[in-house]
Amino acid sequence: MAPQADRNTFISRETRLRYLPFAEIEAGMVIGRALNLSDRNILRLHLPAGHVLTDGNLRQLYANGAEFVCVAMPETRSPEQIAADTADSAGRTLRIFADADLSEPTMAALFDCVLSYRSK
Amino acid sequence: MSGSINRDDVRRNQHLLPAFPRTIERVLATLDDPDANLNLLVSLIERDPALIGQILEQANSVAVRTRPDMRICNMFTATSMIGLARIRRTVIATSMAGFLNDTLPPGLAGRFWEHSCAVGVCAQQLAIHCHHSGDMALIAGMLHDVGQLWLYRHEPDAFLAARDDCRINGCRIEEAERRQFGVDHTLIGAWLAESWDLPGPLRNAILHHHKPEQAASEPLVAVTHIAEVLSAALGLNGDDSRVTHLSTDACATLKLTWDESVTGLFGRIDAVSQSMAGFFRSQGPARRAENAVAGN
Repeated sequence: MAPQADRNTFISRETRLRYLPFAEIEAGMVIGRALNLSDRNILRLHLPAGHVLTDGNLRQLYANGAEFVCVAMPETRSPEQIAADTADSAGRTLRIFADADLSEPTMAALFDCVLSYRSK
Repeated sequence: MSGSINRDDVRRNQHLLPAFPRTIERVLATLDDPDANLNLLVSLIERDPALIGQILEQANSVAVRTRPDMRICNMFTATSMIGLARIRRTVIATSMAGFLNDTLPPGLAGRFWEHSCAVGVCAQQLAIHCHHSGDMALIAGMLHDVGQLWLYRHEPDAFLAARDDCRINGCRIEEAERRQFGVDHTLIGAWLAESWDLPGPLRNAILHHHKPEQAASEPLVAVTHIAEVLSAALGLNGDDSRVTHLSTDACATLKLTWDESVTGLFGRIDAVSQSMAGFFRSQGPARRAENAVAGN
């Protein structure tokens, strides 16, 4: 699948979205979700989804107090490793929700969101 | 059960806990005044050598990645570099660390501190996600279980018995505490907050965080309740992470829907938790004990 970039999100089969602390962001990484940094309702910096970060962008992010960035990370895991990681995440999530009433719709919706998030 | 504790007992025995940090009160007093905040925060930081060290360390750790030749030694430069929100969180967390440390024995203190920080970060990010004050939410998250500290200092054996009851019999901690003390940590926490003159929304968040339906219209109550659920749901409480109850009313109060839109919220919580982990660890009881042993 060719990478799909709309105004807000960049995703392809070969990438996965990750929110990383600023300390781990490097030039060359690809913005996964559009980044808007504002101060007192004034937009100070906008970087669209799919944008490749430059050293200049890092300085801009730093100057504007960015704490984290959503990047599209290359998927380097094998299909087997992805399946194993997904199973581990699902097992851990099930243990966390073992005492929860999943027949209750709000709880079930939270469980689905956490399971989906941890499986990506 | 020991004799039931009442409000007067808590007021008379406030000294069981250290004095509530005035720094946090000053931060709370100016949350709605962004212009006053920077000057106030800098003046607060400059009175406290521990805070100065924390802020300069954070500013330089960020600066070194983009300007390797730059060394920040000035507090105004540091504050403008790392941003008001992060400065405020550092001031609040450092002050809270000083307050919470040395109140519980080492094993319990570590878990209590990690849980308080995790709920604080979740509350802050959830509040921002739902267009409410992140700072007030951070404080509510960090203070939500403060009643447990007082209960421990009041009767350590009964407090530990309540925790054993909870672990062995699978009951909720509030029920186990009511069996031991006649009241639970939420009410004790609210009485403490009252005696410290903390704002009403903060008192109510502490009081109702397990039963937000009792204050359904108050966003900070809903934020604190859901933040505690999220800290467990995302596994931020380590092996103790368990989700048991989520209030539908609280979700409705915040107009929070559990769909694809919360993926970003989860990601931000993970990123901020990761970003703050080193800082929180450095402020926690274990690290402080190590520093004390090392003579720092």
